[in-house]
Amino acid sequence: MSLEPQELGELKSKIGRDPTPTELQIVAAEWSEHCSYKSSKRHLRILPMEGPLVIAEKGYDSGVLDVGGGYVITAHIESHNHPSAVEPYGGAATGVGGVIRDILSTGTRPIAILDGLRFGDISKDKQARWLFKNAVSGIADYGNCLGIPTVGGEVEFDQCYESYALVDVAAIGFGKKENLVKNHARKGDVVVLVGGSTGRDGIGGSQFASDLLESEDRSAVQIPDPFIEKLIIEAVLEARNQKLIHAMKDLGGGGLSCAISETADALGVGIEMDVSKVHTREPGMHPDEIMVSESQERMLIVTSKTKLRKLREICKKFRIGCSVIGAIKSGRQMRVKKGRRTLADLPVDTVANATLLDLPSTRPKYLYGIEQEKKLRKISNYPKTLLELLGAPNIASKIWVYGQYDHEVGIRTVVKPGCDASVLRLDNGKLLSAKIDGNPKHCYLNPREGAIGCFEEACRNVVCTGARPIGMLDHLQFGNPKDPEIFWTFLESLRGLSDFAKNLKIPCIGGKVSLYNESIFGPIKPTPIIGVLGLIDKKPLVPQRITEGDCLILVGDTKNELGGSEYFEYIHKFVGGRCPVVDFKSSKKNMRSVLDLIKRQLLKSSHDCSKGGLAVAVSELCMTNQIGCKVSLEKIPGERLDADRLLFSESHSRYLLTVGTKNVKKVQEILSKNKVSFRQIGRFLGDSIIFTKGNEPIIDLRVDKAQKTWVSSLRDLVLYG
Amino acid sequence: MTSFEVHVTIENKPGISDPEGETILNDLVLKGAYKTVSKIMTAKMLKFTVQEKDQRAAQSLIQEVCDELRIYNPVVSKVSFDVLKA
Repeated sequence: MSLEPQELGELKSKIGRDPTPTELQIVAAEWSEHCSYKSSKRHLRILPMEGPLVIAEKGYDSGVLDVGGGYVITAHIESHNHPSAVEPYGGAATGVGGVIRDILSTGTRPIAILDGLRFGDISKDKQARWLFKNAVSGIADYGNCLGIPTVGGEVEFDQCYESYALVDVAAIGFGKKENLVKNHARKGDVVVLVGGSTGRDGIGGSQFASDLLESEDRSAVQIPDPFIEKLIIEAVLEARNQKLIHAMKDLGGGGLSCAISETADALGVGIEMDVSKVHTREPGMHPDEIMVSESQERMLIVTSKTKLRKLREICKKFRIGCSVIGAIKSGRQMRVKKGRRTLADLPVDTVANATLLDLPSTRPKYLYGIEQEKKLRKISNYPKTLLELLGAPNIASKIWVYGQYDHEVGIRTVVKPGCDASVLRLDNGKLLSAKIDGNPKHCYLNPREGAIGCFEEACRNVVCTGARPIGMLDHLQFGNPKDPEIFWTFLESLRGLSDFAKNLKIPCIGGKVSLYNESIFGPIKPTPIIGVLGLIDKKPLVPQRITEGDCLILVGDTKNELGGSEYFEYIHKFVGGRCPVVDFKSSKKNMRSVLDLIKRQLLKSSHDCSKGGLAVAVSELCMTNQIGCKVSLEKIPGERLDADRLLFSESHSRYLLTVGTKNVKKVQEILSKNKVSFRQIGRFLGDSIIFTKGNEPIIDLRVDKAQKTWVSSLRDLVLYG
Repeated sequence: MTSFEVHVTIENKPGISDPEGETILNDLVLKGAYKTVSKIMTAKMLKFTVQEKDQRAAQSLIQEVCDELRIYNPVVSKVSFDVLKA
């Protein structure tokens, strides 16, 4: 753990002397990429952060949205990639813990978790299987112990994550607006450390996350303890109800160093603390270790001297540690002492605000000619290809994963995992819909369009439940930013997201940047993950059972966009082609029209077309409803294309609507009036998935056979390889 | 060839927290009359029975088994071996 030579020089010139060893540790932690965002911060400003529902307050670790009736929801996304790659169980579990404390720090109760997981190719790679299995149990154990439902997420496998793992966790909180912690502090207020004890685990984790993962770094791994986390949640919420909290921050990357400097910076005050007051797990810990330890389940609370007694009582009741470690001072210095000895005395502004970098970027060479399609072998047996795709790890049902998560606890979950997006009941009578999406295959071919596609897909999923998107979270995961080619992909993705967010007027309420995601095999593909939150004022669209005779309407054009599709990559092992591009105008129009139809209660279900294209989306409807469907390829809206493209192209802005016969006319009228591209492409009947070309069926696959493969293939891969 | 029993103890590395041990200590042992107990650490033990020519060969084989098959994660756990004549 160290500063780069020019950073050390800069620190020296800013403080006008040589830093002490403790100061060096503090600054190295805070100036790491993980804590300071030094490479990305100046660019992140292009994202639209404001909106009518957004409540911005200094020092918040999560985004806050006003959902009416005096209530707010909070949301945040974090990753725990490096720790999970070496210790998947603990890494994934502590990832959940960290993001939950971010929600808690605004004074809201965490009500749901979503997680996005990415690993190497589990059909070949034994280590990827091990990572996958243990990360899933880590998340399940931690979330289930806390009584917070894990309501959704996504899982993806790609060779670029070999020997590595991307574990992203998003959490949602809910509370009364009046209970939000309004971060403030006055001179003389005390700084209290609440929760678990500080130990030697996780020392230097934030630095570790900013270095390349070449060797297994043992001390940077943290051990999860969900039961302490649960006690912290309850203790903090009780203290919140009694108005005992002036300001609050969770201890994450960089430990006390970052929490103290960032709190002081956000509040515009100075803090003086004494390391000997911190409750430690073992005797003889060095002050530097205490300052940078990333032991989990700790919160920093600022309160007044008079309220301290009550806070102590609450901590005693919940049997969690509570030490007064310092006090708020005037002047903006961060002072760390041990007894009477001063170990560090730094201007808060210097510590908390690393100099932002302006890194060079160049268009990567690999992109030249990547859109060129190679001549592919002709598919002779389409039913077999469809069946193969349904069993592909990226498309197969993820029930093996979400079946391990408690997704019902808290009794808010109205639409459960396995559908497009999950829906949670809120206390003000409204409902919240949430989904996270990513697509590294598309982003690799075209970082801009790929990122917009992830964003649109998450919006589509939320729209399918009848929710209008009100906020987004972005999590940008890339390789080493000092490589100009990688940095270019970062900037392109960011610009794309920003353009789409502005166009749809969806504010970005929070996010995270994770760089240096590289293993010994090289950098990962650009992997932005987008979370979208949607609000439903009255009734959600809970998918109803599809019955014989129901009609299938496809909204949106199918285009020649097979690049980065599962069909190209899984069936033909071909990386290249044109990745799907979102047309902003029709995206908006289609979203509005589908929402309108749902509001009028004309649909039985709405499902988006994404991975695997139309063929997979139709099959999913058939399999979950155990009914056949007959679709005519000629009726698919859009340009004239060959069968492969019609079936498997992953074009965006498409929705599959299931409509009962009595409403078909009405639905068609509304869609025509809105000038949306649509057509009735088929009807549900029988017990086979049938696609016809001319009068000939080119796919005829029994639903029960398809379902067996779709449901069991992921589990079989994990358990039996 | 002799039959050996190799006991493999897998525990958290020193300095890493042990929520299970701490809970047993605080919520069970110290709640009773056993105030002199100051620390409890949990561990998992596997008992292997193996045919080898001597104690050293038995231990090195089992060590290899544990390392190769990821019976423990070297990132968080440490292992120790005790070899007994079966």
